[in-house]
Amino acid sequence: MDLFLQAIVNGVLIGGILICLTVGFQLTFGVLHVIDFAVGGWVMLGGYAAYWLVALAGIDPFISIFFVFALFALIGRAIGPLIYHVRTSRYARPDLMALAFTFGLFLLMRGGALWLWSYNSRNVESVFSGEFLTVGSVTIPLLRLSAFLMAILISLGVFLLLYRTRFGMAVRAVAQNRDHAGLMGVDVKRVSAYVYGLYTGITASAGVLIATIYSVNPSVGVRYTLFAFFVAVLAGLGSVGGVLIAGLALGLLESLASTYVGSRYSLLIVFGVLFLVLLVAPKGVLGRGI
Amino acid sequence: MAGKFSRRAFLQGTVLGSGALVLGAPAVSAQAQGKTIRCGVVTSLSGDNRFGGNLTRRGYDLWAEEINKLGGVEIAGERYPVEMFYGDAQSRPASGADAAVRLIIQDKVDVLFGPYTSGVTLAVQPISAKYQVPMISGSAESPNVWLPKPPFNFGMIPAVDLTSGKSIKVLAESLGSQAKSAAVIGVDEPFSKETAEGFRNGVQEAGLELKRFELFPANADLTPVISKLKADNPDIVAVGGHESVFINFINTAQSLDYRPKALIMHYGVTSAAFINQLGEEANGVLGVSVWTAGLPYRDDLFGTASDYSELSFTRWGTRPDYTEAACSASGLVLQDAARRLGKAPPWDQQTRVELTKAIEDTDIETFYGPVAFAKEGDHFHNNIKPVPVVVQIKGGNVVPVAPSGASEGELLYPMPGAS
Repeated sequence: MDLFLQAIVNGVLIGGILICLTVGFQLTFGVLHVIDFAVGGWVMLGGYAAYWLVALAGIDPFISIFFVFALFALIGRAIGPLIYHVRTSRYARPDLMALAFTFGLFLLMRGGALWLWSYNSRNVESVFSGEFLTVGSVTIPLLRLSAFLMAILISLGVFLLLYRTRFGMAVRAVAQNRDHAGLMGVDVKRVSAYVYGLYTGITASAGVLIATIYSVNPSVGVRYTLFAFFVAVLAGLGSVGGVLIAGLALGLLESLASTYVGSRYSLLIVFGVLFLVLLVAPKGVLGRGI
Repeated sequence: MAGKFSRRAFLQGTVLGSGALVLGAPAVSAQAQGKTIRCGVVTSLSGDNRFGGNLTRRGYDLWAEEINKLGGVEIAGERYPVEMFYGDAQSRPASGADAAVRLIIQDKVDVLFGPYTSGVTLAVQPISAKYQVPMISGSAESPNVWLPKPPFNFGMIPAVDLTSGKSIKVLAESLGSQAKSAAVIGVDEPFSKETAEGFRNGVQEAGLELKRFELFPANADLTPVISKLKADNPDIVAVGGHESVFINFINTAQSLDYRPKALIMHYGVTSAAFINQLGEEANGVLGVSVWTAGLPYRDDLFGTASDYSELSFTRWGTRPDYTEAACSASGLVLQDAARRLGKAPPWDQQTRVELTKAIEDTDIETFYGPVAFAKEGDHFHNNIKPVPVVVQIKGGNVVPVAPSGASEGELLYPMPGAS
């Protein structure tokens, strides 16, 4: 029973991070109709940014996360128009071209990280590192709990932005129908660029939390690209609300499968479930996906 | 037209000149090649494994520089300088195979020094066999490299299943009755899995109770595995993986209020990056090394293991690890085999086969330790002689703690801060 409770706590805490990781990804898909292969790259770069801010300036990741968000939001805002341009191109298969563009971006990030920082893993220290709470027989890592809370806070911030602001209304309008939104006076290109900036900022922030819990090296991106895809499909592509359920489901599923079936089979089980979801509910858990 | 060069004279001159060049070329080329031993290095100088690849290059280069200071390799009373040629495997097996072909065909190398990774080594093996060029590998550690019984490939570092298995036995002997049980975990990828399996065999041979053997995917969240280890509470935890896994293991275990009594890992623990990244948390962690600078080995070229370490530090600015040492010792193997062969380079196909036989019969002592290659079994052509040294991180330094012959400090058990 102790192990079961521990597995549930572990799963929920990781699920929170996965929600934060995927919420921006879904938003980008909804607005730009781009499946961004670079998602893991933004996670990795966010982790490195946190590492350097600790190493050079001694700024704790839970403070530097705000700088990282701002920095990567600016970078994303600058790249956004390029992606919009590729995605709305009149030439052949702009959807595939956008996919190739983001894949190239991911390779560039990974190669650049290898070139700049080598293959060695970097450990990101925080004031919460190594601290824990004990509730009964369950140990709750304070770092993961703090990261979970931060991730949930960021995700809630996105929801508030989407449903309580004029900008959010414009984003939802573009996501629903780009042409109609344009006709109603929404600057679609501008909104798309801002959404991409928001996405890169959020994903890099998730990277800060992930690097603080584990460590960061140039190869971590692939795992999180896979997980973002998993959560996005389970949630329903483009469905931001479904991410809450799908992120927690993935966290719990992986934790329980690793604990009771064996870590070796956890990814097999996770992707087996994904396969079933695609067969049974291709629009995701809330049925709102594309 | 007087005094001018006629068209006929020009053509005659050109034809005669070209003929002289063509006929004279082999003689000139043979003379130039005859002065040196041409060594090709296939390793990863770019891509994911470029750092490890450059370590191998440093090791091979240091041997070449040192032997050339003496005038070259001594064969039948004459000295023949060593000339190094490089082929970049780009961290990809297929590129490694292409690079090996270029080195053999274009650069006409007499011998190859092997790649950093086992994957590239497996891709280059058929090339060295096809062209019958011996290849001495200073790095490949996967047992799969030796299973196909490669006729022209030799490995300096004992395969990881041997070193990890032996290291657990050495550790168990040092701990005596203090250690009764162990758990083994590892990443489910070729090198790490083989390390973990070696640890598991060592646990069983040492008569310890195996409480858990579990593999997990690369980059997995280790919380579930560590939660189970915490419940099992074994006396020794052995981890098969690379440095990033070790860092994640220690961080995750710490966040779950768990620190094993003994934690042994394989590759990467001795690297400066691991110690720097974990700081205090690395203290007490055990690792395995087939070579350390404190070992009592020596040879005529490099002197003692300590002398080699100093020389490498002076040349490259960092202390050598066992990969660099094994690569430098690869040169010593070639040197010894060439001396016994007694035939001056360049070596034709038949001579290279004879050289391969001479390498196979190697039985020497070097600064790196004893070298002799297995002539049969699953570790065919692998140097199985070295006994691994169990090292422990103490105050940021790597200290050999077992076996007693190589020990430079006391084994800390339980490790500092153990649960």
